[in-house]
Amino acid sequence: MQAVGRFFDGESGQRLDVDLAVDTAAETLRLTHPELPLGSQYWPLDAIRALADHARTDQVVLKLRADAALDSGLIRTARLTVEDADMISILTRLCPDLKRRDVAQGTGRKVATRVGVAAAAIGLMIFVILPAMANTLATLIPIEREVAYGKTVVNQMERFLGGKEVGGLACTNPDGRAALDKMTARLTEAGDLRYDLNIGVFNHKMVNAFAAPGGQIVIMRGLLDRAETPDEIAAVLAHEIGHVEARDTTRNALRAAGSAGLLALVLGDFAGGSAVVVAAEYTLNASYTREAEAAADVFALNMMEAAGADAEALATFFDSLDGLERTLPDLPEYLSSHPETTDRAEAARTFAKTQGRTTPILDDKEWAALQNICKPAGN
Amino acid sequence: MSSQIQGRYFGARGALFRLYILTSFLTLVTVGIYRFWAKTRIRKYIWSAASGDGDSFEYTGTGLEKFLGFLVAIVILAVYLGVVQMALFYFGLNLFVDPQSQGQELAQIGAIYITLLAVLPLMLFAQYRARRYKMARSRWRGIRFGMENGAWGYALRALGYYVLNVMTLGLLNPLATFKLEKYMADRSWYGDGQFVQTGRWQDLYAGMKHVFIGLGIIVVSFFLLAIMAAASGVGGAIIGGIAIFVGIIWLLIGLAYYRVYAFNYLTRHKVLDGEVTFDARMETGQVLRIFIIGSIIISVLMGVVFGVIGGVSVTMNQALLAGNIPLLVFIAALYMAAFLIAGGLSLVMITQPIIEHAVNHLHVYNADHLNTIQQRAADAGADAEGFADALDVGGAI
Repeated sequence: MQAVGRFFDGESGQRLDVDLAVDTAAETLRLTHPELPLGSQYWPLDAIRALADHARTDQVVLKLRADAALDSGLIRTARLTVEDADMISILTRLCPDLKRRDVAQGTGRKVATRVGVAAAAIGLMIFVILPAMANTLATLIPIEREVAYGKTVVNQMERFLGGKEVGGLACTNPDGRAALDKMTARLTEAGDLRYDLNIGVFNHKMVNAFAAPGGQIVIMRGLLDRAETPDEIAAVLAHEIGHVEARDTTRNALRAAGSAGLLALVLGDFAGGSAVVVAAEYTLNASYTREAEAAADVFALNMMEAAGADAEALATFFDSLDGLERTLPDLPEYLSSHPETTDRAEAARTFAKTQGRTTPILDDKEWAALQNICKPAGN
Repeated sequence: MSSQIQGRYFGARGALFRLYILTSFLTLVTVGIYRFWAKTRIRKYIWSAASGDGDSFEYTGTGLEKFLGFLVAIVILAVYLGVVQMALFYFGLNLFVDPQSQGQELAQIGAIYITLLAVLPLMLFAQYRARRYKMARSRWRGIRFGMENGAWGYALRALGYYVLNVMTLGLLNPLATFKLEKYMADRSWYGDGQFVQTGRWQDLYAGMKHVFIGLGIIVVSFFLLAIMAAASGVGGAIIGGIAIFVGIIWLLIGLAYYRVYAFNYLTRHKVLDGEVTFDARMETGQVLRIFIIGSIIISVLMGVVFGVIGGVSVTMNQALLAGNIPLLVFIAALYMAAFLIAGGLSLVMITQPIIEHAVNHLHVYNADHLNTIQQRAADAGADAEGFADALDVGGAI
């Protein structure tokens, strides 16, 4: 088999139109041209590689894997372009490693080291430095700014849950509102709170409640439907007030602000990348630390005690959550951030045993009003 | 071997589109890690499609080295960005919050500029490094291109010229264009032959004519609008409004004209190794045609696709909110697929045709001299574009 190829020696820009011949016995490709040193070159078939992702289908560009003993680089700089269709098909058949990508020795170790260092730097930032900075900044941030930020978080949440406009999901039945205010007043009259609380109810079936920075707390209608006594609601509310007072939400928001940029950087800008970033940030954000949860529980129990309400309601609520976990799939957030509900219910029960006489937080009529807070007035 | 060479581009839409979709899909399933290999493979394709005198260009970069460079850059940027972002948040200049008042909106705009200014020197640095990396990984006839180190010098000069440009309201734009290109071109090599950028920056003003006409129309119609609105009311206002619209369109086309004009001029005035000269004959009309037709087709197509996906998700809103996971995943997959296709279409309908136009209209004179050029030593310092990748500079390819 004879053909012509264009040869570049990788040393000069000179192009040589070399004669090609495959020697099947010696398993080499011979390149012949009067200007080549000694008149010809022999390329071992198993050392020939083709350039990948080559756009032109009418040619292949061949290169030669360097003999490790002679050359430090893996691929020699000489290039051979072949356009003869028969020669291309013969070479494709006879060269065993035509499409192989040669990787230098020690590459694996190099990659592992750099991945390790980069991961350590990012981990250090996300899990140590940013939280530490967030802790400091959370205590320094002016309250007005916290309140303003908290309000935007609540608005965003409302839109996320399907509210068409700001206040679109808010439940405003005056009787229910009065009951909620009474509950709040009873919980907070004993202690001195740093924040003015702004507690609202969203008309949404999710069994949940959340706190946002600056004293913003939102209860979902689903939680009111699910609870059996007003004391359970009061206990959850007290728990969220605990988060507000400990500035857990502000701390989380600060952390998220720092880590969002980092995650976007790591994941890069590919199609739908921002969706992954949001999801990752959300997971990072939705979980308070276990200590923060425990502290909020203790805060809630003490608040119930100070208000003369039955602290066991927190335990009852955890029990019902536990049941919910098994029956309903649509509750990932609240449960994922509250992992050990049985333990925490146990702690609440132990606490309740030490309590003296308690009175319900709301009477039956007020409780009914609170449960109907999302219905129009007069019903 | 001929003494005059004309560039030829051999790329095909179908093959590049398939390559883009495949590599983007791999990027997606590897949570973004494959993007370095994806970009490299697209570049290999485009480089190898361009040829002069029958000899294809070659891109020798590898995804692995890009990945390694990125890992180094990320260590530095992680610290830098994490701290800057949190500080901005603390000072109430948050980028992720809906503005509630005008004051907040202003603060937010301010924050965006501060963030940009904080990374601007790094981005300019990365821009030079990215070009240097691409040059060091480009070959023709087996001979390497190359570029000298000079990224910080470039970043400093670019900052200076940008400031000058802003202060003179864009009047000195040709100076910035010319000097920055000259800074890079004079440091560029093909083998042992050095490029030199000749010409004068004042010559670029001829390319600014449509920009000035567009600006002129806008300014004049503003004045007319003010006078006419006072005198004749609604009729005058409509005419003035139309005139301003015409002015803006003229200005946009003028900017495209300037870019093409500057590219042609700067190419025509480059000399390689004191002997080889070039000519570029790109046509603004052709470039605009490619851009406008491509944009219209893609946006109509994507409008339909996203409309359908949006419609599906709205009708299934209840199921989605109830946490129907398979449905959620299905819609997310549709959404991402649409994004991939849009990206692939813009590559094969806009980017590649414009490159094709540029390559096909490039001429090299006194090309015999290229035979005497010798290989240059590999640029050891031209490592992968870590910062450029991390900061996403460089656009399409």
